[in-house]
Amino acid sequence: MVELKDVSVTYSSGVDALEHVSLKINDGDFAFVVGASGAGKSTLIKLLLKEIDATSGTVTVNGYQLNTLKKKKIPELRRTIGIVFQDFRLISSMTVYDNIAFVLRVINSPKAFIRKRVPYVMGLMGLKEKAHAYPTELSGGEMQRVAIARALVNDPKLIIADEPTGNIDPELSYEIVGLLKTINMQGTTVMMVTHEHELVKRFGGRIISITDGQIVYDDIMEGTDYET
Amino acid sequence: MKLNGIRYLIEQGVENIWKNRMMAFASFCVLLVSLLLVGTSVLAYQNISSMIGGVEAQNEIIVYMNDDTDADKLNEIGSQILTLPNIADVQFYSKEEEYLALKERMADYDVLFDALGDDNPLVDSFRIKVEDITQMNKTVSQLQQLEHIMKINAPYEFVSFLTQLRVILSWVMGALIAAMAIVAIVIISNTTRTSVYARREEIQIMKYVGATDAFIRFPFFIEGMITGFFAGCGALVITWLVYDAIVKIIENQVTLLSIIGIGSIIPFDAIYLYVALAYLLGGALIGAVGSAFSTRKYINV
Repeated sequence: MVELKDVSVTYSSGVDALEHVSLKINDGDFAFVVGASGAGKSTLIKLLLKEIDATSGTVTVNGYQLNTLKKKKIPELRRTIGIVFQDFRLISSMTVYDNIAFVLRVINSPKAFIRKRVPYVMGLMGLKEKAHAYPTELSGGEMQRVAIARALVNDPKLIIADEPTGNIDPELSYEIVGLLKTINMQGTTVMMVTHEHELVKRFGGRIISITDGQIVYDDIMEGTDYET
Repeated sequence: MKLNGIRYLIEQGVENIWKNRMMAFASFCVLLVSLLLVGTSVLAYQNISSMIGGVEAQNEIIVYMNDDTDADKLNEIGSQILTLPNIADVQFYSKEEEYLALKERMADYDVLFDALGDDNPLVDSFRIKVEDITQMNKTVSQLQQLEHIMKINAPYEFVSFLTQLRVILSWVMGALIAAMAIVAIVIISNTTRTSVYARREEIQIMKYVGATDAFIRFPFFIEGMITGFFAGCGALVITWLVYDAIVKIIENQVTLLSIIGIGSIIPFDAIYLYVALAYLLGGALIGAVGSAFSTRKYINV
């Protein structure tokens, strides 16, 4: 669950990135966050990952009250969130398997569990054949599927996808959003940040639109071409 | 952290060296050169200091005794000298033995000795070596308190020169060692920072997936420690070979050895354990701390 109450973020440069934003995404929801460049989408993600702190207001993510969260508790918070980046951010020196398994190693999961869980998630993402490939040997779509698998492997409560279709072909974009929708149907909350309105229209669902640091629209929209 | 986790992190550290072998090699070279710079400076200082010690050890105070001092008194005075502080060695030279030795040395001038007849113009003497030549003045004052002393000769000027030389040398070498250490730290810190910079994305991803700072730092720590350890091994071998070669060259310089005294050059066998420990521990520690420390800029995500 994500909840922002009257949150404002002002950077040290004086720029107001978010102004009096209130927002609630319940467990199991799927929400698109849309907005042009500089609207405040990235600030929102940084806020949820506690990369930055709110200047005012309160932020709650997966039960963690971020305003009062101690620095050493940040890893604990982040383990409840899976993050998918536009530029994939895979570790080039690791194989697909290791890029995914790495998340579980970070949280000290037992070896036996890692050996079972990673192939399972790779299977969900259609990556079984690519287990020993390195990121440079993959297509954009495959890289993003690895990134989603990595976000998913830890069974997080919330997945934040930051422009996950920004670097891939439109056809593959639908596939990626489809995967995120499928994950959401298993009960994981998904917040997908995008500026691709076409994509949003096609899939529909909850749309949160940010402009100049303020939420200007937050409602459910019917999709044009997607059956849940 | 579980043992399983620690083993994984150690494996990661070892693996990272191979994966980032170019950067690891650069760190190795920088650490090697830095250790050599500091290590050779320290060894040079130790040896020059030991050489000065050798020269110092050859300086002695000569105490000439009154001609009428009898053997019992001389024995007593010899014992008294030994009880004084700062005395390393006392040798008695009887005037008879000295006269015979002089005659031998000047055999070509026996006419002179014939003219003297049975008169021995020499006097009995004590030759004293002190432990600390900077305290020589004090020792001479104490010797002057003794009875039956005719004259005391001490190499004040030379001692003063040696004392000054040692002070200057301590400052110069101290500054040099400090400068070398600073240069080494700057180079090492830049190299490890470059090495870490090359992997900043990896560090950031680790942070995003919930890795603790310790989890991220530990492989860097291990990596730096191993690189530093091998740099220490390299520095030890190079130092050993070069040191032995230099010692061999000096040992063949008879004139130089006669000035500084045989034994003033410290043989490598006598110090290799300290040198090895300093290089290996120093290398491993600098490598480990340097690498782990350099991650801090990218760890604050």
